[in-house]
Amino acid sequence: MSAMVLQRNKSKLYRELNTVVAIAARDITLVLKSPGMLIMSLAMPIIMMGMLGGNLAQNMAGGLGFQYGRFMMIGMLINMLFMVTTMAMTSLVDDHETDFTQEMLVSPVSRYSIVVGKILGSMFGAIISMAGTLVVGLFMGITLSLKQLFLILALSPLMCLSAGALAMIIIGLIKNKRTANLAVMFVTMPQIFLSGAIIPINHSSGILLVISRLMPMTYCLDLARAVVYAGTPEYGGVVLFNPVINFAAIAALTVFCMIVGTFGFARSERNR
Amino acid sequence: MSAIIEVNDLTKRYKNAKEPAVNCVNFTVEDGEFFAFLGPNGAGKTTTISILTTTLAKTSGIVRISGFDAEKEARKVREKVGIIFQKPSLDPSLSAEENIRFHACLYGMCGYRPGFKLMPAAYRNRVMELAEIVGIKDVLFKPVKKLSGGMQRKLEIIRSLIHTPQVLFLDEPTQGLDAVSRRSLWDYINNVRKRNGTTVFLTTHYIDEAENVDKVCVINRGKITACCPPEEMKKSLLRQELILNAEDRGSLATELSELGLSYTLDGYFIVPYQGLSAQQIIARLNTRLTILKIHEPSLEDAYVEFLNKTGGKAE
Ligand SMILES: Nc1ncnc2c1ncn2[C@@H]1O[C@H](COP(=O)(O)OP(=O)(O)OP(=O)(O)O)[C@@H](O)[C@H]1O
Ligand SMILES: [Mg+2]
Repeated sequence: MSAMVLQRNKSKLYRELNTVVAIAARDITLVLKSPGMLIMSLAMPIIMMGMLGGNLAQNMAGGLGFQYGRFMMIGMLINMLFMVTTMAMTSLVDDHETDFTQEMLVSPVSRYSIVVGKILGSMFGAIISMAGTLVVGLFMGITLSLKQLFLILALSPLMCLSAGALAMIIIGLIKNKRTANLAVMFVTMPQIFLSGAIIPINHSSGILLVISRLMPMTYCLDLARAVVYAGTPEYGGVVLFNPVINFAAIAALTVFCMIVGTFGFARSERNR
Repeated sequence: MSAIIEVNDLTKRYKNAKEPAVNCVNFTVEDGEFFAFLGPNGAGKTTTISILTTTLAKTSGIVRISGFDAEKEARKVREKVGIIFQKPSLDPSLSAEENIRFHACLYGMCGYRPGFKLMPAAYRNRVMELAEIVGIKDVLFKPVKKLSGGMQRKLEIIRSLIHTPQVLFLDEPTQGLDAVSRRSLWDYINNVRKRNGTTVFLTTHYIDEAENVDKVCVINRGKITACCPPEEMKKSLLRQELILNAEDRGSLATELSELGLSYTLDGYFIVPYQGLSAQQIIARLNTRLTILKIHEPSLEDAYVEFLNKTGGKAE
């Protein structure tokens, strides 16, 4: 009989993991139920990779010392992951507007589980956009090996966490959708330009260098390129840091952003 | 019995507000008590509930739920409470059942599975049982945005009960419900109270719902103006009244005056009485009456009179 009675699970770890899964699953369900979001996730690669990337490749990429197409596609893959994750994080603002945030915050779970669940839920759209980018790349004649794809996919949850954690710092404080949409631009644009997604940053200096070194995306990109270019003669010209340094930097920035972002978010909801 | 909710000198001033929304409030609620928190619009009820359920930061004071500090031990407090918010807090895009499932997972009642049929039998049975009771079984798998307001309310009620909280906060739970649903909901909540000893903290503008509570607290402009059992409130405030009318109104008026009873005319005679019982008065009247009613004071009468007396009309 006791199996038939609903009871609370005592294990704290189990409950936190279950929360992360439930919250992520909810956001995935929402994407699946909204054709508009699916179409957007697929249209983004055409614009970013096909138009912006394609145009740069045709007109700007002479004299780099390495083949631009592949360099740019890795950049676009990671950029897609960051952009779509950041955009999807604005669902927190939707939740605020429908008061669903209150329902989550009143429940006995860690605020970090809520935020991590949200970020991992955002990854779903991001993976779709990454797949779209690969397809556009295929049309442009740029391909990756299965092993490279697998490695990038394996790294994407970590990268996604770093993207979402950074987004949290700003989006967690915003309470209306219009401002949130502006904030997405504010968060994603500098990352595209300064982290080396489409433009090599080997010669950055001054304030632009400082900003690029503070962005998790810089290290995510570099890590992804290290994976793809490993063992090729272009490695030295393309990759900036040792993968271990990249890992450490991503981890440190993610933890930092996560703590600041979650604290700011929880505080902004409670302190009215 | 011991206090399960203790509120000491609780004050809340919203950001940029001139006046505090809740001003130095003190009260306690005993374990298992049915407690009504009444007051006009804007009195500070929702503000107080939000602080008690840890979703709003207080300005000063101490709040303890089941012995835990609502700020420093927020998580332990959250384990104890369930709430129906005044404003709906459902995910409109998910189905009704998905909303419940999400809630059940966050409270550790079951592991998440991506479909109702995949969920454990205990969960499925409980959802079905509760949906049957509040009458939303037919719409359980429809998106919430397609449900009527009352059905959404019922869904929130199920959701708040699925984790059997020790203290249940109900912020105007029956707004938008039809009469039949209201009644069946209260039957159910009373049942839960009896079976699980759940403490219920109720705010409502349907004062009749608070008729059977153990204690009433009235809050007005952020201050508590009364806190007592409902009978006491009625006793201290209300006169009993007879409502009479006759074809020969002149004769009735004379008789009432002779008995030393004052009255007001409002289509019929409203006769407050004290000392004499209603029966004694009626026995002494010879005029043939066309209307005879004994006005039983309700909590609502007492409450309205109390607010008027204490100058508490909401502006
Ligand atoms: N987020 C907020 N920011 C600023 N002031 C607020 C906020 N929420 C409520 N108030 C103010 O606090 C006071 C108390 O509001 P509260 O919502 O607690 O009233 P209430 O008793 O629940 O009223 P009702 O019966 O209408 O629900 C009101 O004057 C209201 O204007
Ligand atoms: Mg209210």
